[in-house]
Amino acid sequence: MQPLTLRRLLLRCAALAAVLFVVVVLALKLGAVQVSLYGLARELIRFALHQTSELPSNYSLIIFDIRLPRIFLGVFVGASLAVAGTSFQALLRNPLADPYVLGVSSGAAVGAILAYMIEPHLGLAPDVAVLLTPLGAFMGALVTIAGVYLLGQRDGEIDSTTLLLGGIITASFLNALIMLLLNLISERDHGGMSFWLMGDLSTPLQSNLQWIIRVGFFLAAGAIYTTASDLNLLLAGEKEAIHLGVDVRRVRIVVYVAASILTGLAVSVSGAIGYVGLLVPHVMRMIFGSDHRILLPTAAFGGAIAVVLADMLARTVVAPGELPVGAMTALAGAPLFIYLLRRRMG
Amino acid sequence: MLDGKYIWRMSKAGATLAAVLLCAGWLSAQTPNATNVPGAPSAAGAPVSEKAPAGKAAQENAPQQSARAVREVVDETGRTVRLAQPVERIVSLAPSLTETIYALGLQEHLVGDTDYCDYPAEAQKKTKVGGTINPSLEQVVALRPDVVLMTSINRFETVRALDDLNIPVYTTDPHNVQEILSSTIKLADVLGAAQNGVTLAGEMQQRLSELQQRVGELPAKRVLFVVWTEPLITIGKNTFIADALRKAGAVSIVDTTQDWPKVSLEEIVRLQPEFLVFTVQNDEKAPDLLALSALPGWRGLDAVRNHRFIVVSDAVNRPAPRIVSAIEDMARQLHPEAFTDSPSVAPPVNKDPLNKEKVEKPNAAPEKTPPAQSTSLVANDAAFCMRIEHLACNR
Repeated sequence: MQPLTLRRLLLRCAALAAVLFVVVVLALKLGAVQVSLYGLARELIRFALHQTSELPSNYSLIIFDIRLPRIFLGVFVGASLAVAGTSFQALLRNPLADPYVLGVSSGAAVGAILAYMIEPHLGLAPDVAVLLTPLGAFMGALVTIAGVYLLGQRDGEIDSTTLLLGGIITASFLNALIMLLLNLISERDHGGMSFWLMGDLSTPLQSNLQWIIRVGFFLAAGAIYTTASDLNLLLAGEKEAIHLGVDVRRVRIVVYVAASILTGLAVSVSGAIGYVGLLVPHVMRMIFGSDHRILLPTAAFGGAIAVVLADMLARTVVAPGELPVGAMTALAGAPLFIYLLRRRMG
Repeated sequence: MLDGKYIWRMSKAGATLAAVLLCAGWLSAQTPNATNVPGAPSAAGAPVSEKAPAGKAAQENAPQQSARAVREVVDETGRTVRLAQPVERIVSLAPSLTETIYALGLQEHLVGDTDYCDYPAEAQKKTKVGGTINPSLEQVVALRPDVVLMTSINRFETVRALDDLNIPVYTTDPHNVQEILSSTIKLADVLGAAQNGVTLAGEMQQRLSELQQRVGELPAKRVLFVVWTEPLITIGKNTFIADALRKAGAVSIVDTTQDWPKVSLEEIVRLQPEFLVFTVQNDEKAPDLLALSALPGWRGLDAVRNHRFIVVSDAVNRPAPRIVSAIEDMARQLHPEAFTDSPSVAPPVNKDPLNKEKVEKPNAAPEKTPPAQSTSLVANDAAFCMRIEHLACNR
């Protein structure tokens, strides 16, 4: 492993940030109403300088009040899922681990649906009630990862295969629970919930929820980043890491809680978007190596790029209709995964 | 590895990363500023691919900000809606609302509707904004509506999202046939066509009363309303469809508060409905009902053995004025003896010169005895949830 320098890290992040910027501009350009690149650049500059928009008011409403927040939501959701996936893969020492495969996404969805169902009975103020769904999703994610972790233990150590099977079984059990819950809610909610479960970024968030997503992401991702070098040592095995002085217990708690926060937040605002947490870390590892001090931030950028792209396709392919963004990530992700698998075997 | 220098470096890197993303976050948080600019000049040669609004529309845009009067109404979900007067540009997010707008003669003001809005045929030519559950907010906003009409098939999230964008949303929520009438009157008033609403509802009421005289006293036929055959899904007693059946002199044998219950064939065989009621879309081929008699379970039903099927237009699935025609059609098929005397209940020739589409003739409904076809209704392999979604979207 090469020694880490700030220069190395910043160079890589800057390159990915540039790619992300291009993708965001592209996503901002395309949609139900289209703006030329020149017009967009002019608008963005005027926007940054707080000048009056030259576009008709409904166009600036579309671009800055609908499209831009949606793109930023995609950025945060993608980054959250990729960081959660990267840290799960490191901690569980299993390349198949990701929030989706381990059932954490499903657990978050169950928590979110339960919160949604009990919310009207609590008589909370609307501002507080909005936070109940993310909280439920976080609790669901946390309980699930704890359960899967217990299932995956053998003689006090994590057994890779057992853990993965435990996760898959947990996911399928939770998915059955989701179907059960969906049959209990009203028909009106049913259609919307089904769409949300397939991954959906189309609903703008209230501003306090937007801030929770942002702050939550930086806190949780930051917490995971403090364990980055410990995660590197953990790649050698839990016992080895302990001998090397890693407080494995602390790392485990930090990563599980923080990754559950990331997954819970992402699922509560966008439903279950698969493959991002699984594949983005793999691709980034192939490009940038497996030093988690570099891998975690690059995976965050990679996840953001992947979800913004997928969402751009989701809302333009059958425009003005919309496809679930989870379907787009799966359509692109599954073949990519098979390609990576065959490549490794060949 | 965790020496001070390293931590310092890392925190510096983290801070840079955080700063970049926070800037991004700040940018998006600042967005409302961009939209509060009053009377933004219409872009001269603006680089927009969508055609700039025609001159007339552009003129409307300016007074919308300042001079237009505002009227406050309460919609059927109890929300207070502030509407600029007069309402010139309407977007409908449900097929039933689109039909109602045409029936009220307000189609000139309908600037957008959904992929599922297929009646009347001209409604298909309106600008589409996507589906009912997942409309494109961008497209809705691009149409600069004075009001967006929604109903119980749409999502609360869409209402809230449009609210946040300061686009007025008016929601209807009828639960039975009478409420479809009152809802139509109220909607017409909100849209500035109160007289048309009263006339339309009056005509619907009159036709329902005439029907009531014919079939109201007759013993209700016990029917199974088939929403889907595999698995068997029917309607619950709280749906407006159940009420439409009652108005047609029928009663659903399934008595449940669930709106779209999945029921077991065993239970249906035990209850033995007198008739099976199927719906068919305008352009759809009638289902092959005779194939049912070859299936285990279904062939145990007297109604199947005796071919007592009735097929009605899917207008019965939509809480819109056309439901009256569907109710009349069902009543005719269920109680033919009540219609032998005179043709007086035949649909009145449309008296309203404003609107020729107002109410469809009942005899335009599909044929009573469907021809045998190669495609079997029961062999349809579309997933159950897709059907539910379709059903939900299609109202």
